[in-house]
Amino acid sequence: MKTKKLYLAAAILFAFAISSCKKAELTTFTKVQIPTSSPIQAGNISGFVKGTLLAGQTYTVTADVTIKKGDTLSAQPGAIVTVKNNAQFNVQGVLNLLGSQVAPVYFNSDTNKPGTWGGFQADSAQAITIKWTHVDNTGGPDASGSARRTIIVNKAINVDIEDSWFTNGQDDLMGLFRANVTILRNTISSSGSTDGEGINLKSGAKGIVAYNVVFSQAGSGIKLETDKKVPFPQTEIDVYNNTVVAVGWRRGSAEPGRGTSVGVNAIGHVYNNIYVNCYHGLEIFNDADVVHTTYGNNLFYATVDNFTDLVDPTIKIDLRGNFYPAGASGVPQSTDLISKKVGDRDPQFVSFDGTVAAPNGYPNNNDFHLKTGSIAFGAGTTNVDPKVKGIGNQDLGAYTTDGQGNKH
Amino acid sequence: MISRFYLFAFFFLLFTGAYAQTTTSITGKVYDEKSHEPLPGAYVHLDDTKTSAATDAFGNFVLGKLTAGPYKIKVTYLGYQEFEKEVTVTSGQNLSLTIGLNESTRNLKTVTIYDKLNQSNESSSRKSEKNADNITNVISARAMERSPDINAAAALTRVSAVTLQRNSGSDEAYAIIRGLEPRYNNTLINGIKVSSPDPVSRFISLTTIPSDLLDRIEVSKSLTPEMEGDAIGGTVNLVFKDAPDHEYFKVDGSIGYSAIFFNRKYDDFNQGAVLSKSPIDRFGPSYAATPGYFTRPNLDFTKKNAPPTYLGSFTYGRRFLNNKLGFIISESYQNQYYGTNSQFNIAIFDPKNNNRPVLSDVANRAYSTQQLNNGLSGHLDYRFDDNNKISLDNVFLYTHIAQARLSIDTSIIGGNGGRVGPGTGTVYNDNRSTIQNQYVENLKLSGKHVIAQHFQFNWAGNYSNATANNPDRADLTLNHLINPDLTSTPNYFDAISRIWSKNGNKDLSASGDLSYITSLGDGNALQLKAGGLYRHTTRYNQQNQYQLKPAPEANGVKSSFTDIYSANWIVYNVTGSLQSDASNYTAYEDISAGYGEVKLTLNKLDIIGGVRVEGTKQGYDTHPVVLVQTSNAQKTYTDLLPSVMLKYKLTDISNLRASYFKSISRPALYELVPTPTFGEATDVTGNPFLLHSEATNYDLRYELYPKNEEQFFVGGFYKDIKNPIEFALQGLNQGGQALTTPQNFGTAKVAGAEVVYSRYFGNIGLSGNYTYTYSNVKSPKVFNTTDAQGNTTSALKLQDRPLQGQTGNVVNFSLLYKNDKSKVFAQLAYTYNSKTIPFIYDGYGYDYYTQPQSFLAFSAEKQLVRRLILTAKVNNILNTPTTVKIDNLVQSKDLYNVSFNLGLRYSL
Repeated sequence: MKTKKLYLAAAILFAFAISSCKKAELTTFTKVQIPTSSPIQAGNISGFVKGTLLAGQTYTVTADVTIKKGDTLSAQPGAIVTVKNNAQFNVQGVLNLLGSQVAPVYFNSDTNKPGTWGGFQADSAQAITIKWTHVDNTGGPDASGSARRTIIVNKAINVDIEDSWFTNGQDDLMGLFRANVTILRNTISSSGSTDGEGINLKSGAKGIVAYNVVFSQAGSGIKLETDKKVPFPQTEIDVYNNTVVAVGWRRGSAEPGRGTSVGVNAIGHVYNNIYVNCYHGLEIFNDADVVHTTYGNNLFYATVDNFTDLVDPTIKIDLRGNFYPAGASGVPQSTDLISKKVGDRDPQFVSFDGTVAAPNGYPNNNDFHLKTGSIAFGAGTTNVDPKVKGIGNQDLGAYTTDGQGNKH
Repeated sequence: MISRFYLFAFFFLLFTGAYAQTTTSITGKVYDEKSHEPLPGAYVHLDDTKTSAATDAFGNFVLGKLTAGPYKIKVTYLGYQEFEKEVTVTSGQNLSLTIGLNESTRNLKTVTIYDKLNQSNESSSRKSEKNADNITNVISARAMERSPDINAAAALTRVSAVTLQRNSGSDEAYAIIRGLEPRYNNTLINGIKVSSPDPVSRFISLTTIPSDLLDRIEVSKSLTPEMEGDAIGGTVNLVFKDAPDHEYFKVDGSIGYSAIFFNRKYDDFNQGAVLSKSPIDRFGPSYAATPGYFTRPNLDFTKKNAPPTYLGSFTYGRRFLNNKLGFIISESYQNQYYGTNSQFNIAIFDPKNNNRPVLSDVANRAYSTQQLNNGLSGHLDYRFDDNNKISLDNVFLYTHIAQARLSIDTSIIGGNGGRVGPGTGTVYNDNRSTIQNQYVENLKLSGKHVIAQHFQFNWAGNYSNATANNPDRADLTLNHLINPDLTSTPNYFDAISRIWSKNGNKDLSASGDLSYITSLGDGNALQLKAGGLYRHTTRYNQQNQYQLKPAPEANGVKSSFTDIYSANWIVYNVTGSLQSDASNYTAYEDISAGYGEVKLTLNKLDIIGGVRVEGTKQGYDTHPVVLVQTSNAQKTYTDLLPSVMLKYKLTDISNLRASYFKSISRPALYELVPTPTFGEATDVTGNPFLLHSEATNYDLRYELYPKNEEQFFVGGFYKDIKNPIEFALQGLNQGGQALTTPQNFGTAKVAGAEVVYSRYFGNIGLSGNYTYTYSNVKSPKVFNTTDAQGNTTSALKLQDRPLQGQTGNVVNFSLLYKNDKSKVFAQLAYTYNSKTIPFIYDGYGYDYYTQPQSFLAFSAEKQLVRRLILTAKVNNILNTPTTVKIDNLVQSKDLYNVSFNLGLRYSL
């Protein structure tokens, strides 16, 4: 019996030892390297360019770069592009910037000052994909001396912009007209000098704008319009789970900016957003397609009661009075969380410096994740789009508990 | 200063005129023997003396300072037989004569080059219409002097089937002939193409040409092979004054005022603060402009009383060296102050109301304009002998325009406003000061040579150069918001732009023709003519733009605006836009043409026919920084243009005309260049794929000339225009701003009829003309349809409509009063235009229409003493608005108000 037990114990021990030595099967392909298509050598680039900006390489754009129709410019994770001489990218073909969470792509000017290069002028592009890319300090003057939009598209193409950072632009950060857009989990900070929207969608644009953070934009955070001259097809966008903070101040009280606006025959489905310290919160203009526009489950908050206009100190702007601006068609919804005083229905950002109006280029050192126990958790809806079931989130704002939200 | 000189000259002449009364003299009156109409401008002289005179407007003449004795008095008047009579005057006698002249009847048998009618008077205008090879209307200098019109543009509106195209706020005007847009017509100076200082067209604004400089305006509605082929509606030929057969001196001056300034002030700005040079013009292309470079007083608009308008001109001409050398010089100076009160609105589709148009933006604009025209025309000719003559003609026109535009705009739909009800929303104040200096120089050297008894050779070389310089156009925008509770925010400083732009157009041309004439016996003649033309045209456009951005407040917010002197800005593009401005281009056009023409004069029938070939080469280069394929293009085409005109003399006083001709219209060079021009409601860009228009034209006209200064015409016309050019929506550009381009639209059909009648009943004259024009063209428009699911889509659908700029009914009617005894002439002129499409609306079923307009003008003159005439002109008596409507919405409305003019004219 004893030996039997001993054998058994030894066998178990042996089996255990063996099994702990066993390794998982590993297949490697190190022998053959698939080469990168049309690699672009590090160094100066300008003129007509196509190919791939390589991982970890640094490029200097010395003059305007044009991607011709049919050509593609790609970027691998970790490519770094420095733009000189106020140059811009003219995209007539395909732009494919594919950074990764661990190795983003970087585009910046050599001076690192706001408004010092031209961004992506992609009016007639064939497709735009931008993922995990930093695009900073765009918006320098164009040929006529006007500030440029950072990304401009004016064609019914697919535009997919995800997980990217945009800072210190001078006019509209994204001007996407007629396009089919997927704009997810981006952070747009301190853009527009004294004008310009964060995400400007017009002229029959369609798609989704969700989980983005827009901080201190000069004009509106997200603006939907159809063209005045051509009312069809209508612009129709699902705008949900965005966190829009301190936007709409720099244009002055004559042209207040909105957290989100829907105007000129556009249709918006606006849910689950958090609007804090915006000049105007959510404005559904009387000229919007009010019949088909739907909205609700939005949180409106202000960290101060009033803001004193620097231009005319006698003007005190009542932030809470502007959540749904007077005279417009938008009215508070029963599903909304609307703050009645400072402290009431505070979404509880992890850290927020209380910015109201701030200059173009103002640093965004805030963390708009929500503290545990925020009233925004569980206040959302997953019925954002009346035509498609299941779009939305149980939580409000860009940072949600289900991991679907912003990853910055 | 110059106007003072004129006033001084007047008083001087007034006194000298008063002293010129003498005791021994011959006075008289020259008239047409048949019609008993007075003949103005007849040459009266005493044989073997230097004493001569020309008859005045009423046919009267005075030969003063005579010594007693026998004289042979001679009267010549071209087109009439010479009159000769021996008379004797005794000391202290004032001999009075009435002289009747008979029309000469000449047959065209040999080449005569000096036989020239004095076309500056009205009755000879009628003669040139009667004798012309083609269908022509002529306005004489006399008619222009007497009419209420101070420039060529206004005078032209008295011609049958001619109307004017005017732009909102500007005083530019171009001729519309037979309801066809200016593009289908051409403008000539002394028979030669004019280069244009206008960056967007081929034309010269007719308001910049003082009517004082003109001998006559000829409007040809059909083309003979010798005429340039690019006129479908017709040709306007501005003929400047030619050397007279006798000494000619005329000076006049007047003072006027625009009644618009009874109701409001004139917005003035400091023209001295307008910098003629941009920063890089002064310091080189790499100069970075500082905020301090840009001046402020030209954006400081002050309200003041409008100064009066001064007009003055003089003409002097005579012949020297046994009449071999002739010259005339004419100078006209006009310093006008006028204003426009204008409403400008933008209409869009209303998707909530079945896509009917609805106003999206409204603007009120007040323009205050100073326009200074200084025209100098000179002519010199030398007659070597009876067979050879060389002429030099020079026309120089300088125009200075200074304009303040104060605009208040509101977006009703869209924009960054927040308009929630009437009287609310964001209000934009846009204040702009501009100066434009235009220079047009036209030099022509020409010769006529009879090289053998039957052969004549004519040649001409021409240099024409037009430039327009717009220095430092300054535009300031401010905005404020009127809240729903009607409180207002302060004014915010939005932006300033400063633009230096210039453009130039230069033509060099040479032409020549050889003709052969032979008699076919007894009033029949044959003329054969062959000729050619080559012209090289170049054009450039240059723009340099600076954007001044307001310096924001400490918290980054847009700053407020109190006044221009305390505004702070930064220069956003410090080196300007010149290096890469999209408006910069160079362009060229080469025309080579040749023709053969046959003119057969039979007893009763004239046949003119032949063929013209025109080869065109056009091209442009936009010199882009980034290569674009359409940035450089060349177009070539050749047109074969046959024509036949028949004139049948039914009787001595009536003609029947029929004509057939082919002609073309070339797009303006600007219209081919694919660079955008930013506009209020829509941006405009050229179209390199634009084709030239080709037309086949048919005309029929009956003419009756019962008496002097009397006429009756009735006629009809039909035109088939392939590829008419019109401006229509092309699509949307960045930001959804509409983009308009010139485009071709199939084939347009134009048909019409006209009647012209004028007659005197004793002292009262009636003159009227009426034109009816119909046109049709189909163009694509946006049409919205909604399906059963409620999804609306837009598609293009063809819509019938009249041609852009085409007027259906045009009426001109004048009532004239002429009293030879009290030496008074008065004219009341009425003009009516029915509605026209000024530009194309892009939505199906609706169009913009300029509303029908009735204009009334009055002019009068009275001879005070001999040679001195008091003149008065009142224009726009009805204060007729120019209103553009779409579906009963007012798109724009411009009011100019009445203008008055009072002056004196002295002529030798």
